Amino acid sequence: MLELHDLALDAPDGRLRVEGLDLKLPRGGNLLVTGPRGSGKSRLLKVIAGTERPARGRVSLGGRDIWPGEGALALIGHLRVGFAFASGGLVSNLSLRENLALPLRFLGLPSEAVQSRVDAALEALGIQAVAGLRPHAVSPSARKHANFARVLALEPELILLDDPLEGLDAADRTIAQNLIRTWADDGSCTLVIAAEEADSFSFLEAERLQLAHAPMSLEPSP
Amino acid sequence: MAFLARLGSPVRGFLEFLGDQAHLVLRTLRHALLLRMEQLAVVGGQTKLQIRFTALEALGLVSGTALLLGTVTLIQAFSQLSGLGAENYIGALMVLIILRELGPLLTAVLIIGRSSTAIAAELGAMQLNGEVDALAAHGVNPYQYLLLPRWLGVLVSVFALVVCFDAAALAGGFLVAKLKYGVSFGFFMDSVRQALSNRDFAATLLKVLLFSGAITFPACHFGLRIRRSQTEIPQAVTRTVVSALVAVFALDGLIAALFYF
Repeated sequence: MLELHDLALDAPDGRLRVEGLDLKLPRGGNLLVTGPRGSGKSRLLKVIAGTERPARGRVSLGGRDIWPGEGALALIGHLRVGFAFASGGLVSNLSLRENLALPLRFLGLPSEAVQSRVDAALEALGIQAVAGLRPHAVSPSARKHANFARVLALEPELILLDDPLEGLDAADRTIAQNLIRTWADDGSCTLVIAAEEADSFSFLEAERLQLAHAPMSLEPSP
Repeated sequence: MAFLARLGSPVRGFLEFLGDQAHLVLRTLRHALLLRMEQLAVVGGQTKLQIRFTALEALGLVSGTALLLGTVTLIQAFSQLSGLGAENYIGALMVLIILRELGPLLTAVLIIGRSSTAIAAELGAMQLNGEVDALAAHGVNPYQYLLLPRWLGVLVSVFALVVCFDAAALAGGFLVAKLKYGVSFGFFMDSVRQALSNRDFAATLLKVLLFSGAITFPACHFGLRIRRSQTEIPQAVTRTVVSALVAVFALDGLIAALFYF
């Protein structure tokens, strides 16, 4: 599903953060990327999603080259990707409900299917009460849950989660962990998580990739 | 050598900007052709929003400006041409000054001030907030969802506002002609109709088409180039206004040369 070859990522100041990264993740596989702040975890996820260009190397998803190539545009209509951002990422002039519905409407699903998937996702994340509000009008944890709900409603083949538990209280964290466990056990979807610490994901059976400012190593799965 | 490099740098920057604009236009057109039927409702909804903001909400401003311009144009013309049978030149004056040149040009300038700036700032804020990345990652093509509706919305709006501008300016001109010389509405409109030609309609339609691109694409280009900080937003807005104004005036000159020289 996911193949990285000789990947190099650079920081905004031009310095290389990650170099020579080779990785293969099969369909249904899970990968946990950990590392301190500024080690390039979020950047790696964005490069995999095709929204940011790597400094060097090749990235392919589901057999399609996205780098070098058109990035995320190469995947449209071929592979469904869900990306829960660490912060932001929701369209600010749409309500949470419309944010969830937009990718589904663009997929061409009939309006009844869009409605039922959006309702189910909002209910699963417990944010129906604020679904009609725009992102700036809800709490950060509700925004985080709306990001999860958008991924859930899309039923993607590749899920990218950037710091999914950061800033959540105990109750919200449990909801998010249960959702991540469901996705991790689903053999039809590939899961990539970036987090600062691996401790919160002890329940997860996954390949582990530890990023450091430099150097970087790939550890075998537990 | 350093002098030549300094001289060449802005030229290279300008050529790069032109190349980027052409690339943006071609990619938007290409992705427009890839739109599927079921996506048309989403793109149509966004286009309607753009038309509401650019045309409907600016209607009062454009009509008021045009009314005043039409009035002032004929007051000044009559003050210079009094005694020379100024009433016989009413139609030619209105067509030459307003319908051919100032109508499309001032409409474009007003839209640049109101909508280009808004598009650049909105797209810049979306880019900073990760919204554009999120759209692309979730299969929502930014060319189809962000750029195409804005272009179509501005295209429809420029056309509608040029028509309104011309109508309001003619109304202002008629008001002065009626008060000063007691000209009848029929005489006034006949005079305008005789001065108008099919070439004027063709030139105006070409201006509408090209101005809409010159208003939209610099805004999208500079807005989407924002990457790091909110302080880039005002810079992008300023660059948008300057680029769009230069583009509109240059296109206006080219079209005038092409049709009337």
